Amino acid sequence: MNMDPAASHEIGSQLITLMAALMLVTQLLMIAQRMLLTSIRLFAIQSLLLAAIAAVVAYYHNASHVYVVAVLTIIGKVLFLPWLLNRLVHRIQIHQEIEPLLNAPTSMCICGGLTLLGYVVARPFTSLQRLGNNTLGIALTLLLTGFFLMINRRKALTQVLALLTVENGVMLAAVALTTYGMPLVVELGIFFDVLVAVMVLGILVYRIRENFASMDTSKLNQLKG
Amino acid sequence: MTNALMHDLSITLLDFCLIIYATGAVASLLFLRHEKTATVVSFGCSSVAALCGLIACALALGSGTAASNQSFELFRSLVPYVQFTVRLDPLGAFFGMIVSLLGLALSIYSFGYARGFFGRKNVAVLGAFFNLLLLAITLVFLAANAFFFLMVWEIMALSAYCLVSFEHEKEETRQAGVLFFVMSHIGTGCILLGFLLLFQASGGYGFDLFHGIGAHLSPGQRDAAFLLFLAGFGVKAGIVPLHIWLPAAHPVAPSNVSALMSGVLIKTGIYGMTRVFFDFLGTPPGWWGVTVLSIGTVSAVLGVLYALMEHDLKRLLAYHSIENIGIILMGLGAALMFLHSGHPALASLALIAGLYHTINHAVFKGLLFLGAGAVLHSTHTRDMEEMGGLARNMRWTALFFLVGAVAISALPPLNGFVSEWLTYQSLLQGFGATPSLVRLMFPLSGAMLALTGALAAACFVKAFGITFLAQPRSDHARKAHEAPVTMLLGQGILTAACVFLGLFPTSFLKLLDPVTQQLLGQELSGQLSLANGLVLTGATAHGGTVSTLGITLMLVCLLPVPGVLWLVFARRSKTRIGPTWDCGLRGLTPQMEYTATGFSKPIRMIFKTLFRPRREVQREYDFSPYFATTIRFESHVEEVFQTRIYRPLNRLVLRISRRLRALQAGSIQAYLIYIFITLLLLLIFAL
Amino acid sequence: MNLNVTAIVLQTALLLLLAPLLSGCIRNWKAKLQNRRGPRIWQPYLDWIKFLRKDMVISEHASWVFSFAPYVVLLTALMAGLLVPTIIDQAPLSLFGGVLALVGLLALGRFFLALGGLDPGSAFGGMGSSREMTIAAIAEPAMMLAIFTVAITAGSTDLSHMVQVTPGATWSLLNPTHVMAFAALFIVLLAETGRLPVDNPATHLELTMIHEAMLLEYSGRYLAFMEWGASIKQLVLMTLLVNVFFPLGIATSASPAALGLSLLAYLAKLLALCGVVVLIETTNAKLRLFRVPDLLSAAFVLATLALLSTFLFQ
Repeated sequence: MNMDPAASHEIGSQLITLMAALMLVTQLLMIAQRMLLTSIRLFAIQSLLLAAIAAVVAYYHNASHVYVVAVLTIIGKVLFLPWLLNRLVHRIQIHQEIEPLLNAPTSMCICGGLTLLGYVVARPFTSLQRLGNNTLGIALTLLLTGFFLMINRRKALTQVLALLTVENGVMLAAVALTTYGMPLVVELGIFFDVLVAVMVLGILVYRIRENFASMDTSKLNQLKG
Repeated sequence: MTNALMHDLSITLLDFCLIIYATGAVASLLFLRHEKTATVVSFGCSSVAALCGLIACALALGSGTAASNQSFELFRSLVPYVQFTVRLDPLGAFFGMIVSLLGLALSIYSFGYARGFFGRKNVAVLGAFFNLLLLAITLVFLAANAFFFLMVWEIMALSAYCLVSFEHEKEETRQAGVLFFVMSHIGTGCILLGFLLLFQASGGYGFDLFHGIGAHLSPGQRDAAFLLFLAGFGVKAGIVPLHIWLPAAHPVAPSNVSALMSGVLIKTGIYGMTRVFFDFLGTPPGWWGVTVLSIGTVSAVLGVLYALMEHDLKRLLAYHSIENIGIILMGLGAALMFLHSGHPALASLALIAGLYHTINHAVFKGLLFLGAGAVLHSTHTRDMEEMGGLARNMRWTALFFLVGAVAISALPPLNGFVSEWLTYQSLLQGFGATPSLVRLMFPLSGAMLALTGALAAACFVKAFGITFLAQPRSDHARKAHEAPVTMLLGQGILTAACVFLGLFPTSFLKLLDPVTQQLLGQELSGQLSLANGLVLTGATAHGGTVSTLGITLMLVCLLPVPGVLWLVFARRSKTRIGPTWDCGLRGLTPQMEYTATGFSKPIRMIFKTLFRPRREVQREYDFSPYFATTIRFESHVEEVFQTRIYRPLNRLVLRISRRLRALQAGSIQAYLIYIFITLLLLLIFAL
Repeated sequence: MNLNVTAIVLQTALLLLLAPLLSGCIRNWKAKLQNRRGPRIWQPYLDWIKFLRKDMVISEHASWVFSFAPYVVLLTALMAGLLVPTIIDQAPLSLFGGVLALVGLLALGRFFLALGGLDPGSAFGGMGSSREMTIAAIAEPAMMLAIFTVAITAGSTDLSHMVQVTPGATWSLLNPTHVMAFAALFIVLLAETGRLPVDNPATHLELTMIHEAMLLEYSGRYLAFMEWGASIKQLVLMTLLVNVFFPLGIATSASPAALGLSLLAYLAKLLALCGVVVLIETTNAKLRLFRVPDLLSAAFVLATLALLSTFLFQ
């Protein structure tokens, strides 16, 4: 490579910024989305972008264990989890979301506001001279909008997806901001945690469906004594 | 002519103007029984007076003599502390020009319009109050001390009330008049308190004493003054949420009065705000500009949304006035924000945008109301659902209304486009000039301005299309006839003004130089024009440019393109008239046309959280619901401000009054005790 | 003020002749993707010349506005086209207006198109006018915000200046501001030109029409002018997208070699954009009318994000 390090640093930074912004875009599209299968696909794209960011960070910092993180993300969040969730949707035979609490334009505007909040909060950190320093704002936004998505929707599956996007946001902050990524052990731990959580939630969703003939979690209040 | 001569001439003409208005008001009452004479006398006087006023103000602005700021007494007053001083300063002259231009066009229009009242109502009264209103408004713009200002403000409110209640035999009119009266006085009360605050700091009532008084007030007092004047003048201007009198009062007044009210009366509020915020209160804190900009944006969007729901032609136009006041306030708010951040040139640009939109709105709204008046005069109804096909019988009115509709929708090359272009430019440059996060307001307001422009265009496609195009929907519309010549002439004057203000903005901007010089110390018209005045620019380094004249000429020059296509291909083709495609049903009736309510249905559904539309359908049938004998359909849009703000406020006030009624015990001893206690307290305080 | 008359004439001719080609390409490629043969690429030329030749039938209820509208639609589209740089980086009439004048001119054309739909007194025309004005109104904030964002980064609303200032280097195009503003404007393009998923240009069911419904009563040369005008408007909006965001290859001097190269680059970029439009049209179904605001509010939020990233990403 005979590009001078400053220029390559520049390209790397631009690439990471662009991919983080695209992650945010997929998050927004998920908020407006009603078809469950498309939401799962959007989540897969988001995780792919996350893996790409991890790969770029690994390249520029020569930290090979971050490559492992990237590969694990691809295997787990881009291939396995979406396949699992797809299978669940086909077993349950429900393909569409019910009316959310707030309609699409309003939720989009609220997410615009949350984005602004995330950016404003993360501003003091952008002065750090790191490769992915301007992604903290996006990570915070992913967290906030993921929570909002969990509140706004009533189907258990979408809530699971929202939880996974929150986790994506946390991973983005970890990968892009820390020098060599987090220790591999921690990464693996979080990863398997999420895997098990989703599998349990999958079974739970199936049970909810069996008992209430719908995935509407607001029906769970029938369990009250 | 030398400056002194010009100055004398404009002052003389101004005196003539005021005297002739007063004469017209009084003389018209002498001919209570003779309708035709009364019409000629009153509206003749007002036309001549308006013409004098127009020349006086234009001279004063154009020659720069208005900057002299000399005030002179109208007539000697016998009461100490009260002086009837007026002055012709640039800001006053600019607004004086607006009222005179509109007064001229409206007076000529009224010659023909008043004939519609012959035999029914007393035209002399209409003429008298018309003159009085014009006199009062002109004096509002010229008043040089707070006391005189409040006096003529009151006279203006009272004469407007009398005019609004002209057709007081209708219940709707009486209610609208009372609402207007009450809201107007709430506003006047706030203005009075504001002036009292300023008086405390300056020790006198004169406006020249008030100049820059903001520096002598404590921050708390300044903020209080700002809020009081914003509320007081805001009621008159019709900002949301103080606007509820506007859509009630404007439709029920006679059309020439509606035009005057929408065109000039609400601009007195803008005049007051400009005078107080820029002349009196000095450099503002940041939140003033943000507040005004937000109020402007909200008023603009809500105004146009409610206008879309109306099918009463004049109510629709009244709501559009609210929208345009919002746009003017956006310019003023941006100017306040730039003043705060220390960019006087940008502030001038924003102020110019706001003031240019003021005169534009006066002109095209006046034109539209005159057109609506002509339609009302011919078809005797304000309801659009009963009109249609009027373009066939009322050719000129239709053409003038179309020009007004294109102007108000901010489409090139007319004047609405120019003032909105200037507003966009100031918002755009504001983004770069403001350092903090507040700068996000500028592009978002710009996006909302774009939304209102597009919604206004949709609304006027509806208004013009349903009223003038297609087939007539009722007998009234079928028998409509063209308006008399004087009405057409009045509309023509305003149409010419629209076209002039649209095609030659750079020439007009020279008239705004003295105003910005007086208020902000900047003269921007040189920087805003390129290429000998043919092109308007936004005064930045690589600023955007626009030339409405150029666009118009180019559009004409492009006519050979379809011409060539016709010559080459279409010369042998014929044209014939045939029926509209009716799916083989043989004959479309007017009932099959699109209605105004139907036209706005998509917007009603999209914004249903705001409108909360309710729909009721009732059918009566004999043997099957599919063959109904009667169907009744009712559709409502909730009046949010009335039900959520004003009615609860009313109930609260009534509740408090009932409690206070206990004070009126009816016994003499109780009243004696009140007087005694008050006396004791005063004595104790005096100790 | 020196106006280059040759440039004006050449650009007018280019707009007039290129617009039908784009429409034809989109129709043909859409058909190919759907496993059909589809009409020939130059079919629109033949269609519209046929319309010009035919006799015209005008409704008995229509007024002069009906006959005035086709000229307004065609002329405003051409005028708007003269404000945009196509082959050379200086538009022939950039002094007369920038992006705000362009939006205004297209709005003027739409105003008269809608009036022309209401004039004959047909319910289909009224429905088309109502829907068209509604969708245009909801698309405006997104379009204006995206345009603002680009104008802010370029420092002016002058289109030629925007094209000259946008850096041509490849990796700076990874700027998220540009990507998101481009995405927002692309969605607005779909709405303004009446393409799926907003409106189906090939439908013959009147209750699903938006743009076509307003043209139902037009025939003969008026129909030709209307269709040509709509096509030129589509070309102008695509040129705006393509040249402001990817000004690669645009000529900076008037030499024949540079102009020739620029013309090829321009055509290539336009056809690539057409390809994307065809892909989106084929893979999406038409949205219900009351779902279109969802799509356009997504465009609005994208534009807001683009705006935020102008100063929050630095």
